[in-house]
This record gives sequence, C-alpha cells and structure tokens, in this order.
Amino acid sequence: MRSLSPALASLANVFRIPMSLTPARPSVTRVCHETLSRRTQPGPITSAVQTASFSSTSSLAKRSEGRPGVDKRITLIRYFLHHPLTPRPLRFSRNRYLRHWTIHRAWQLFQAKQRNTQQLELQRQYQSMQAACEELRTGAGDGGRLFRKSMNKKGIFTDLIPIEYGRMQTEFPSAEGWNHEWKKIEKK
Amino acid sequence: MAAREPSRYLARGLPRTFVPSARSQAFLNRRNVSDEAPARRLSDQLEDLETASSLTTSVSESAASSFDPIARSKTRKTQLPRGRYQFRSPKYDRGPLHPHQPPAPSDPSSRLFVPGPFALPRAEQTYNSTVASDILTLCYVHTPPGFKPPPKAPRLREWDDSSPYHKNRPLRGPRGGDVLRLLRKPIKFNNIPKIERITLHSYVKEAAQDNSGWLHVAGIAVQAISNVRVETFKSKASVANWSLVPGRDTVAVKAELQGENMYHFLGKLIDVVLPRLKDWPGVKGSSGDSSGNITFGLEPEQMALFPEIEVNYDMYPPKMIPGCHITLHTTAKADKDARLLLSAMGIPFYGKIVQ
Repeated sequence: MRSLSPALASLANVFRIPMSLTPARPSVTRVCHETLSRRTQPGPITSAVQTASFSSTSSLAKRSEGRPGVDKRITLIRYFLHHPLTPRPLRFSRNRYLRHWTIHRAWQLFQAKQRNTQQLELQRQYQSMQAACEELRTGAGDGGRLFRKSMNKKGIFTDLIPIEYGRMQTEFPSAEGWNHEWKKIEKK
Repeated sequence: MAAREPSRYLARGLPRTFVPSARSQAFLNRRNVSDEAPARRLSDQLEDLETASSLTTSVSESAASSFDPIARSKTRKTQLPRGRYQFRSPKYDRGPLHPHQPPAPSDPSSRLFVPGPFALPRAEQTYNSTVASDILTLCYVHTPPGFKPPPKAPRLREWDDSSPYHKNRPLRGPRGGDVLRLLRKPIKFNNIPKIERITLHSYVKEAAQDNSGWLHVAGIAVQAISNVRVETFKSKASVANWSLVPGRDTVAVKAELQGENMYHFLGKLIDVVLPRLKDWPGVKGSSGDSSGNITFGLEPEQMALFPEIEVNYDMYPPKMIPGCHITLHTTAKADKDARLLLSAMGIPFYGKIVQ
C-alpha cells in the first residue's frame, strides 16, 4: 500500500476512508479463517465485518485495552446466526412450474395411498385379533380360561417394553437372529 | 431445436453401449456389497430401451403447413401466462381482503415453501412397520359383539339444587381440582399413539446476568442439533438473585420440530446420544403432564454429545454450551400410553412408573 503522510492518514481515519484494498463485504470462508487465525493475538475484534476494512488504527486498539475481549467464536456465532440465510422464493417458468406441480401431486397421492394401506393393514390386524379372541372366548371349550389369561394386562404399563427390544430398525437382521437364551434383566 | 438435442445424443450414444469392450464390461460387472442381487445388469436394462429413434418418423406435409402456433394462441380467449411467468408472493400479510394473496405453502413461489422430504427417517420406518402394530396388540381389550359399556357419570357435575343461587350456574368441575383431564378412549387401529412433535427448550439465566453471547451460543447450538430456526423468549418471572426482570431480559430459546426433522432428531437422540450418557438411568417414571407429553432434560456436557456439536466442538465456547429440556409430544391421551410408545422406540424409563 502507498504510504500516506501522517496528516492524510489521520484525516482518512476521521472520515472512515478505508486505506487497504480489501473488498467491503468479505466472503464467509474468509471471515471464518481470518477471525480464527487472529485468535492467538491479543486484542478483541468488535465485528467480523468491521475489522476487515479499518481496524489497525492505534485509537481503537488504545480504547479497548482496558476491557476484556469478546471471544472470537462468539463473534463468529453471531455473524452466522444473524446471516440472512433465507433465499428469495423460487420463480419457475410455466413448464417447470407444471413439472413441479405434477411431481408434487403425484407425491401427495402416493403418500395418501401409503397411509391408506398402512391404516387398512392395522385394521385387518385388529379385526383378526377380535375374531381370534371371540373364538377363544366362546369356542375353545375351556370355559374361557385361555381368553381370560390372554386379556391379562398386568405389567404392560408398568414394566414397559424391555430396552433390548425397543430399538430402531436396521438394514439387515443381526447375525444370530433370535436369542433364545434371553432373559429379562432384573431391576436393582 | 434445443428440445431435440438430448434425444439425438441418446440415439447416437445408445448403439455405442452395445459394442463389447473390455473396460466397460469390467465396470458393468463390478458389484458392491451394498448393491442389490445381480438379477438385472445395466446391459439388461438397456435392452429394454428401443433402439429405433422416434425422430426419423416423417411428418406429413399438410400437418406441417397447418401448424401455426401463433394463430392458434390468438384464437384462445384468455392467454396463457408468459413462458417466464413469475408470480411474486407478497412480502407482508395484508389481510384476507387484500387482492394480492400469498399462494399455498406447497407452491414453490410461496415464501413458506420448504423443499423436501429428502429422506425417510429410520425412526419413522420403525414406527410404521413395528411399533404401531405392537402397541395395538399390547393394548387390545376384547369386547364381545353387542357389548355396550355402562354409562359413565358426567365429567362436569350438576349442582345439587340446595340453594336458589345454583340456578343458571355453569356446571361444577371434576372432583379433586378444576383440571378436566383428557378423555382416554380404548386404543384401536385408528388412534394408536404416535409422536406428534418435539420441543427443545433451553433456559439460559446467564443471558440476563452476563451478556447476550450466552443466548446466541445457546441458540446456534439448538439450531445445529435440530435443523430448525429457534424462537427466543423473554423472562416472565422476577428472580432477584439472577437479576431477572420480567419482560426485559431475553433468556430462553425454543425450537419446535415436526415431520422429517423430528424423526431425524429422535433417531440421533436414541441411537447416538442416549447410549453414551454416563450413569444415566433413563427418563424419570413420573415425568409427564398427564396428557401424553413426556419431558426430560440434558445437561450441557450431554448436549455436546450430539454429532453436530461434537464434530465442531471447538467452535463453541465450552462453558457456554447450554443444557436443554426435550419435550416429546405424543397423540396419546394419557402418560402411560406415551411411555409405552417411547419405550418401544427405545427410550428407557426408571423409578416408579406413575400412571
């Protein structure tokens, strides 16, 4: 950079004329990189954007000597938290809009059908349970003993489902498949 | 012309794929473990395509001469929108009577449009394939055909007309307090409890005492693990020790997760974070608001176990990482059903299970 006379430099400082050639609006990666690389040096930065254009003046450094500095990571977090991330709404031409609309409607229809099949499957299970229980109650010939045992709800809402079985689905079954030696862990 | 080009390239390129060459064969036959069984190779699929180009068909002279799109568009009563039609959604809501109304949120020109879903989360698949029918079976109560349950007493009681002042009074609340509990119906195939939404809430009292950095770090941590923009809240309580003044200090952040975000978060929580908590007995058995919503809390060091924070741990000031309360809202009407659902999904409970 061209060196200025002290008078011109002080005037530039007063009128906030940036004397370096850095662009006014720095890119995100550069902000991140600069701020972090300056971490070891003493002295806070007031704003990630502001430091780039005019910082190295003696007056600012002098003024902030007494205060504890702001953590650079917080400065960065503030920068990204208030960064306007919402893009403008999409604008489609007629054909692209129609294409989008078609795919959207097809997806909604597909989902509705899927929900319907799931619901019907559950209904089928429920009704077959109902039929089985009715058969057990009237037609099993043991005076309804099995039916009464099957309706016993003891421990369902207090012991809950064993944590070994409450697990997410995986892509493949486990190697040994079913553990026949499994016993419920005694609670302490 | 521009529309023709891809198909011309396809017509030229297709015969090339059938020419046997050592390199391409080796590439086609290579199979990874994650691939499906080699029932259909790429070459088999390519044989399904027609090799004859549709562009070679000749157009009759009369059809070509009568094709006049400009004249046809002029005969239309109302013109189509321009090819580069650009509807601008209004930036501000000016009320239902304003002529410029925003489009539906599913419309891509809407400002509320969110693209997606981009994945089918594992938690959702597990619920649909296993958990729903398990709960249906566990909660099944048989009623013989023609059975009618005896009528219950009304939930809101009448006043006994012992005083003339009872006339025209509103009905009395239930016994033992004014809270009218939700009505739990027997669980059938159409009301199996499911997870509705998840709320992350983080109360940062240091935001009122120290500076706003605490709130900003809490907000971005919650945003990072939830993929949802947070809302902030001012304090309602007045606590002199914390120098809290109601309505002045912003002290809390909240994120509401629904749909795909919710299931991804639940999957991370159950599969990644909860198994790594040291000496964590589980969610307390008495937790819940008695209408099917279960809440538990995570300490700051437990929040740091979320993969989004863990990979980027150096970018957060360690002492400022917040704890948070996680509320799992379910469609169950009673806590016991909600607990059954959550334990089926893999959340442990400890202590006395309060119904």
